[in-house]
Amino acid sequence: MPNAELSRWTLSWFAAALFFLAAALVLILFGAGGPGRWSEGSGFAVIHCIALGWLSQMMLGALLQFAPVLAARPLAFSCLALPALLALSTGTATLVAGFQFSGDAAAFLLPGAAGLLGIAFGLSLIMLVPTLAKSASLRSSEPQLILLALGLIIFVWVSGATMALTRSGTSVSLGEKLLTDREPLHIILGLGGWLTLAAFGVSYKLFPMFLVAPEKDGLLRKAGLGVAGLAAGIGAGALVLLAFDYAPPLPLLGLLSALAVILHFAETCRIWRSRRRKIAEVNMRHSLIAHLFLLAGLALLPLAITEGGPFAEATVFILLAGWLSTLTLAQIGKIVAFMTWIEIFAPHIGRSAVPMVGDLSSARTSDFLLWLWSFGAVLGGISHVIQSPSLFRVAAIPLLLAALGLCVELWRIRRLLNLPPQSRPPRLPPVFLPRPNWSKIRESA
Amino acid sequence: MNLPEPLTLDVCPQLARGEEPFATIMAAADRLAPGQPLRLLVPFRPAPLFNVMAKRGFHAKENRRDDGIWEVLFIPQTPVEPAAAATGAATDAVFWPDPVRQIDLCGLPPPEPMSRVLETISKLEIGEVLFALLDREPLFLFPELAKRGHEWAGNLSEKGDVYRLLVRAGGQE
Repeated sequence: MPNAELSRWTLSWFAAALFFLAAALVLILFGAGGPGRWSEGSGFAVIHCIALGWLSQMMLGALLQFAPVLAARPLAFSCLALPALLALSTGTATLVAGFQFSGDAAAFLLPGAAGLLGIAFGLSLIMLVPTLAKSASLRSSEPQLILLALGLIIFVWVSGATMALTRSGTSVSLGEKLLTDREPLHIILGLGGWLTLAAFGVSYKLFPMFLVAPEKDGLLRKAGLGVAGLAAGIGAGALVLLAFDYAPPLPLLGLLSALAVILHFAETCRIWRSRRRKIAEVNMRHSLIAHLFLLAGLALLPLAITEGGPFAEATVFILLAGWLSTLTLAQIGKIVAFMTWIEIFAPHIGRSAVPMVGDLSSARTSDFLLWLWSFGAVLGGISHVIQSPSLFRVAAIPLLLAALGLCVELWRIRRLLNLPPQSRPPRLPPVFLPRPNWSKIRESA
Repeated sequence: MNLPEPLTLDVCPQLARGEEPFATIMAAADRLAPGQPLRLLVPFRPAPLFNVMAKRGFHAKENRRDDGIWEVLFIPQTPVEPAAAATGAATDAVFWPDPVRQIDLCGLPPPEPMSRVLETISKLEIGEVLFALLDREPLFLFPELAKRGHEWAGNLSEKGDVYRLLVRAGGQE
């Protein structure tokens, strides 16, 4: 019988990811990045703080918990969770430093970062791919989507590593071509491929669960998977074509990506309509707002392709801050509360009164902070369209306040501070580190 | 028929360190060559594991050694798909008595179904059976049932929209 364990290191991955989010927003406040400045070293530093340190670290950490649930089997090689986390965190920090400092420092920081990130992704794939790639779990679309996303990590890393090497002074042919005029391919593979497809896969499992909707892997979802698979294949193939001096078919890739997003949106609407929980909770309401950001990004895509410049920047920002970050921030509170409840209260069910999962968090606080985040994301998107660096700095204030506020709320969830004192056990597990001898269960004799 | 040499897994040191061996045992079961048995050394009789392994197509031969260690040989009955999911009831569930309680937990948000099953089963006598209907496979419930010494068997309906779960009350830890 399959069962699911709590992942020992997932909360540590979350904590590291939140650190990078806060760091990125502080860098923005101090003038890094912004409209017309993303191609500067400090701009690259911020973008990678967000895409790698925040979003990728968050997604991989969540998958360590989520993949075993999806595949109904224990995580393969789970002992690699900590080394992978250390490699990803130090790799991202090294990359950010490499972008921030030019000259001799970058010459060894950037290749070092590429190596560390290669190790991090490699270890993550060793844990996640064998867990998901079993015939029983491969019958449904969600593990297939996540495997597709994980496969694209390799291409994101290859494109990024060759560019990092070229920037550091070691010329690599593919890196030169990407840096010359095909940098968007790296962004498309990372943002549109790895992160967005993984988000699709996770949401098909989480949304029916939180909305109490039937789990139905129907034609719409399978069609979306097919189109996404085709787009992913073309995206990955485009990188290979570029390596052999052929022009990648970017318009076709854009068209298929747009179709995949539309099919995903239709599937999400179907799940929403079929829900039994008529009043959606905060995490789901803000996940819906994240999807509106996704549609906004899709609407801007033609302008981003034809006009480039401000519209391309606005599209990327809206997808990073609006779509992926809002979705992640909306779900993290619910996931952490759920994990905390399972860890602390599951052993007491049927023996003493236990609180509801919802009691562990403050819905009002989360709701306010998530609205604040979305407000900042809209402001940031507008600042790119009108190319206003000062408005962008202003937008970073609500974004940072919301992120810090949500960190405090997560800490309150882990410390059970939203519960009355008499409901809190005398000893609580560590906030984000695994408890020594943490799970002494299933002693069945 | 000659069986291949069994893969031996001693989880006594892991248990002595206070670590949970379930994932290690499942990983070892995944590594087995076709037809290869798993020889497990454990300081106690791992009753619920027999059910888990039965569903993966293994039958168990147990032996308590003089030194107190239980030596359990899990022998594959037929070549099975290693990732076999929870389809079909436990091999011995057909011999369980009729359920004394039936609860419909469909439409409840997680982890409410888990709470309700644990609350209900805690009120049953040892050996009594609970039948529950759920929206989805309650993956976080199973470790808690095992910890409390209960046995369970479950499968998805043909349409895949309802999970049917039988739980037989065991000794409370």
